[in-house]
Amino acid sequence: MESPFLRWRNFLSDSAARKKYEDYVKAADAKVGAFLEFDADRGLGLVSDANPGADLAGVPFAVKDIIAVKGFHLTCGSKILENLVSPYTATAVEKLIARGGVMVGKTNLDEFGMGSSTDNSALGKTNNPWDQGRVAGGSSGGSAAAVAAGMAAFALGSDTGGSVRQPAAFCGVYGLKPTYGAVSRYGLVAYASSLDVIGVCARSVEMTRAVFDIIRGQDEKDQSSQAGGSGPAAKNRVIGVLGGNLGLDPAVDRAYRKTMDFYKAQGFELREINLAMAEYYVPVYYTIATAEASANLARYTGVRYGYRPDYAENPEELTRKARSEGFGSEVKLRILLGTYVLRSGFQDQYYQRAHKLREAIRADFDKAFGGAGLILMPVFPTQAFLRGQSGLDQFQQKLADRFTTAANLAGLPAMSFPAAVEDGLPVGMQFMAPAFGEALLFDAIKLYEAQFPCPVPPSYKPEWIEGS
Amino acid sequence: MYQSFIGLEIHIQLLTESKVFCGCTNRFGDEPNTNVCPVCMGYPGVLPALNEEAIRLSYIVARTLNCELSPRAIFERKNYFYPDMPKNYQISQFSSPLGRNGWIDIEYAGKPRRVRIHEIHLEEDAGKMIHAGDMSLLDYNRAGTPLLEIVTEPDMEAGEEAEILLQNFRRTIRYLGVCDGNMEEGSMRCDANVSINLEGQGLGRKVEIKNLNSSRFVKMALNYEITRQKELFGKGGKIVQETRLWNENRDVTEPMRTKESAHDYRYFPEPDLPPFIPGAEFLAKVDKGLVELPEARKARFVKEYGLSAAAADFLVAEKATADFYEQTVKLGAAPAAAAAWLQFDVRKILNRDGKELADCPLTAGRLAQLLSLLADGRIHGKIAKQVLEAVFAEDKDPGQLIKEKGWQSMSDMSQLAALVDQALAANAAAVDAVKAGDRKPLGFLVGQIMKQTGGMAEPRLVQELLKQKIK
Repeated sequence: MESPFLRWRNFLSDSAARKKYEDYVKAADAKVGAFLEFDADRGLGLVSDANPGADLAGVPFAVKDIIAVKGFHLTCGSKILENLVSPYTATAVEKLIARGGVMVGKTNLDEFGMGSSTDNSALGKTNNPWDQGRVAGGSSGGSAAAVAAGMAAFALGSDTGGSVRQPAAFCGVYGLKPTYGAVSRYGLVAYASSLDVIGVCARSVEMTRAVFDIIRGQDEKDQSSQAGGSGPAAKNRVIGVLGGNLGLDPAVDRAYRKTMDFYKAQGFELREINLAMAEYYVPVYYTIATAEASANLARYTGVRYGYRPDYAENPEELTRKARSEGFGSEVKLRILLGTYVLRSGFQDQYYQRAHKLREAIRADFDKAFGGAGLILMPVFPTQAFLRGQSGLDQFQQKLADRFTTAANLAGLPAMSFPAAVEDGLPVGMQFMAPAFGEALLFDAIKLYEAQFPCPVPPSYKPEWIEGS
Repeated sequence: MYQSFIGLEIHIQLLTESKVFCGCTNRFGDEPNTNVCPVCMGYPGVLPALNEEAIRLSYIVARTLNCELSPRAIFERKNYFYPDMPKNYQISQFSSPLGRNGWIDIEYAGKPRRVRIHEIHLEEDAGKMIHAGDMSLLDYNRAGTPLLEIVTEPDMEAGEEAEILLQNFRRTIRYLGVCDGNMEEGSMRCDANVSINLEGQGLGRKVEIKNLNSSRFVKMALNYEITRQKELFGKGGKIVQETRLWNENRDVTEPMRTKESAHDYRYFPEPDLPPFIPGAEFLAKVDKGLVELPEARKARFVKEYGLSAAAADFLVAEKATADFYEQTVKLGAAPAAAAAWLQFDVRKILNRDGKELADCPLTAGRLAQLLSLLADGRIHGKIAKQVLEAVFAEDKDPGQLIKEKGWQSMSDMSQLAALVDQALAANAAAVDAVKAGDRKPLGFLVGQIMKQTGGMAEPRLVQELLKQKIK
């Protein structure tokens, strides 16, 4: 089979191709704003053994700026880490570099991965390549936009509650959230450790699969990682779908029907499933995620690295000033929420209760996968939304996480794919599979891709993108 | 009558090669911030990876202190901000510590006492903050050192008893080789808590005491605190539940600023570390690390080698000494002689030279050889002491030294008889005095012969010959 990286192989080894590529990125990113840092030279410097036969030789890829790459910044989209240069490289990135991949730049995100628009970044604005007035989604908005606009072959993101799948859906690319533990988290800056996973944005199913196969695996530096093995076999041709009023925008609703019709036509049986715990996804997610975040973000005090106030009387004041000046309001809100739910005397009511519900959510999916081989559902109730009044406020955005957070809470793999272009904007759907069933996701979505390939945003059609 | 209740919280740093959650060297006294990496410095994105050696040593202590082992030990985050703590949470154990419900047996006031262990848990140590003028300096070398916390029940009643428990515990951990127990350097630290109440009324309000840098301070601080509380109680005053600091310059406890006491640590399970489940294979490795403890060894020494309690006590105080002793006996030395030499002559030299038995030219093999030369009469007692000094000075085997220096005893009877005859002829007055019944000049005559032979004559034989000949 032809390498999914063919169009990008040795891209950066050829000086003419490289110049064309770098000029394009410069021009395109002036409008999109996907990158916080772009430096192909430094990326090439990280490849120690430039073997032209390696499968990723000379292939440019991007990394969400919440994943560590030595010598590049690691800002997490936050003022508090704006000046931090990483002293080490994440395991997943190391694996890609070892295959010859060239890490060309760090992409924009919602601060510490907290948001659904990338507008919560303190360091830059990322626009949707399909419509500059709209958000790219989040929190891995920079990664999804970079891939959608052809500025990188693929990009790594992180998905804590939908942060790879939702921007991928908004920008019209594929977005994989692997099984919890399938990819080492070493080097992924923690937002919510029991939910976080490194994911992949790419323009084809096979590229997504190839990247996942490289980055997956057990890592002694991450004791929550697992080898996973070959995963479950395809059980049946039953796809679980959601019934009832899902509160979807009409365009999203149309796309959901379109995908269901497609799979029915392919000979799959669609079976409506009852996910009894669905109403708890969002509250449970925000309880657990913020609790973990309140501890994970405690290390940012300006004492050892990062933003430091000009003056402080003592270490306590240094910490207080660094945090109140360095964090954005959404991050502060989540730290406060997390601190609140962990208070002694209230843990039973919030944190412990959320854990019990999380177990029930897992059991709910075990039951659902007892009958169905895969579950098909929307990613987000809307398409990429506008900035300002007509868009979604922070609270509406949280409620809209109801389709994506389930996979994180249950630790299951899920992948979003471009299902349609409606009113000039892409719409994404997602499949969920049993643990370590990534191959099932790829196989199912590949069928769809064969008929409806990855759409190309009209203003960003570099020649190296398929379909341009 | 009042009753007092004392409990201890003891922290020991485990003697592992590397830190508990990263590969950095675990060593005291290096240049500040040289044994650090992104993990123990709390850089963004890093994860802890549990050091198996640290958990093995922890279970050795838990087993030794008779604890019930948790089938599923859980690590949790203890949240509080302090600049010397890189993540601003400490990875510790809370709801499911690795050991519970153990005990330590001690002897206090001539009676055996059992002090119960509430729990044992493994955690990471913090770095160190030093205030220098208008600066605060931080050294993270210690951050991430494996730290084992042992919490006793409030089963003791006097400062002396706590001191005995600490000394006993210190000896035990040194025996196990899990910690060097150095309270001055902080590899072993202790906080104490005490409450008093009218007899039969149960526990009173607990006061915690910190800043106790030796077992003597633990004793002094507890006794001070018991007296203070009794006086306060007697005057109808109220004891406040608080944390106090021992002031070692003034020999008093003083209230700590109350700000520190209002912590809510918001414990929750550490999502980065799976629960530790001690399997059969692991427990077998733990069992290999268990050793005979000092008390049991002492009893065995008395019984097996016929030693006095005092001699056995001396020998078992340090595992290295007891091991050295048993090795010497195993190589053929008489148990009593080996004990006596270690207790007196060897110890004297070690103390004088500031050396340790484990790290000096004397080996069990050399001591056994020396004692066998002595027992065989090839050297006599005074020469044996000279040989011992020479072993320390020249780092050579006793046999070789004797040959090199010509220190073999002169025990040839005809040779000695000639010398005795010469001495008798030359000292007629002394001979007469002995014949008249004064035994004192006998020693003088022996001395003359020893002098003549450069100390090599076997004094016992010389004495015998003299007696025969003067008769």
